[in-house]
Amino acid sequence: MITLITRISPGDLWSALTGPGDLDPLLTSVESGGVTLAVLIVFCTPLAWMMARDRLPFPRIWEAGILSALLLPPLVIGLLLVFMVGPYTWIGSILDWFHQSATNTFLALVIAEVYESAPYYVLGAQAAFSGVDTSLEQQAGLLGDRPFTVFRRVTLPLAAPGLAMSLAVAWARAIGAFGAVVIIAYHPFGIPMQIFTTLQETGLYTALPYALVLLVVALPLPLAAYVWSARAERRRRG
Amino acid sequence: MLNVDVAADRRDFTVRAALDVADGERVALFGPSGAGKTTVLEVIAGLVEPQSGRVELGGRTLTSTASPRVAVPPWERRVGLLRQDPGLFPHLSVRANLTYARSSRAGHSAAGVELTEIAASLGIEELLAAMPARLSGGQRHRVALGRLLLARCDALLLDEPFASLDAALRRSLTALVKELSSQRSVPSVLVTHQLSDAQAFADRLLVMDAGAILQAGAPDAVVLRPASRRVAELVGYLGFVPADADTDADTDADAVGGGAAGVVAGVHPDRVLPGSQPGQGLVVSGTVTAARPSGAGWEADVLVGDAPFTCRLPSRPDGARLSVTLLDPPYFGPDGGLCGDRSPSPRSANSA
Repeated sequence: MITLITRISPGDLWSALTGPGDLDPLLTSVESGGVTLAVLIVFCTPLAWMMARDRLPFPRIWEAGILSALLLPPLVIGLLLVFMVGPYTWIGSILDWFHQSATNTFLALVIAEVYESAPYYVLGAQAAFSGVDTSLEQQAGLLGDRPFTVFRRVTLPLAAPGLAMSLAVAWARAIGAFGAVVIIAYHPFGIPMQIFTTLQETGLYTALPYALVLLVVALPLPLAAYVWSARAERRRRG
Repeated sequence: MLNVDVAADRRDFTVRAALDVADGERVALFGPSGAGKTTVLEVIAGLVEPQSGRVELGGRTLTSTASPRVAVPPWERRVGLLRQDPGLFPHLSVRANLTYARSSRAGHSAAGVELTEIAASLGIEELLAAMPARLSGGQRHRVALGRLLLARCDALLLDEPFASLDAALRRSLTALVKELSSQRSVPSVLVTHQLSDAQAFADRLLVMDAGAILQAGAPDAVVLRPASRRVAELVGYLGFVPADADTDADTDADAVGGGAAGVVAGVHPDRVLPGSQPGQGLVVSGTVTAARPSGAGWEADVLVGDAPFTCRLPSRPDGARLSVTLLDPPYFGPDGGLCGDRSPSPRSANSA
């Protein structure tokens, strides 16, 4: 952070961001990151809950799948995604049927970001749900709550600080995703791609303003999640 | 009225329990850890599905394995369960914990006046705005109890709720639960491995071991006349001495089976008088093998022949020999069952 701030003059920053279309990569990254977060919340939250409560068949296979996505280099994930959602795959054919494509499109960018960030969210959310005492859920049930109401009134509020932190980490991973993105979603340009192409075309110093923008966009959510989690914990302690 | 007649498989044995608890009646399920007591409560609460049997509450069938099969889910059973961990929701204030069920169940108006009344009766009216983390152990249990009372449960299940508290607090909370369960006139079942808790709470005691109910009856009757040696061991008898050794008095041993070989008398440490008092019970003489302070008195290990027992005495035993009188002891035959059902006349048993 200090390096970035000391190496960039306000003039460089202004000139980098005020030209026509200069903010497009930023908007693309924020939009794709937002959609990615929505996908994670909708699909990965139930997955993490089921993993935490042993409700999945073959749980070790699911865990291995999540861990492999975490451990594989993002570049390799991108290569494998080509074989999964590329134009010559059955998923690609289905997408084509709907006049969609998972190569060099906004959809491809979201898919790449989901694959890069999902393991961070799922594993964090699983830990957050595992930390909720199941006897409290039982007690809520005995007090008259149906399972979904128990989830809404007890499980979710108790897991919320952990979920928020996991989501914040996933956001940072999604908005900074590069390895998989460069393979299947070179276009549309997000901030990381903008940094990469600027670095290649015009050098290190002209890429720095975009790096600062990426940090400024990526950091507030994790910071807010941290502050909120700490406040929630303080409130619980009375 | 709570009617239970179930069999539930556990890893090591099958738990079989049959009990009927009338409205306002308090029953204690007493036994060692791992006897299957909690499993019975969990079956009643709907948290464990039995292999066979039936659970009915207030005329409603909650569980039935006979056709048509019935398994009412826990949230529709209206059964309150209080465990050792009071299970307060840490993200909700005391007030929100107390009124939790009110916002779950249809047909309940705002807690309002009742909340105030129950909070006052439990002594927690000053704590309504506090978070559970701020409460002491006793206060947490009071809040958990208040939550069950406000939930208007049709049965109260207590799974060693106060086991982690000190004796004085346990006594006061047990008395409070006893009073409130009577006021509400709901069937109550307490699970405990502390006999004193069971005696303080229950109208009826059920002794459970290895998944089976061994004896049921009034608490004092179970303690004074255990149905078997195993029950006697569970309710605190600390030794068994031969009943027919060196009898030096006229007895009606045959009437209680005491004259037969292998019959033993149970020694409860609290039902022992120092010295020989033939008019009071069975006189036993033996060798003191150890003595130690216990409460306000002394506890002595005594050997009669090769039969050891432990008793409590008001003062330190003098010398190596000790004579004591067992007050109206129960006698057990070679099969371990209780012999006869009336007090034997004075007898004595001495070590060689």
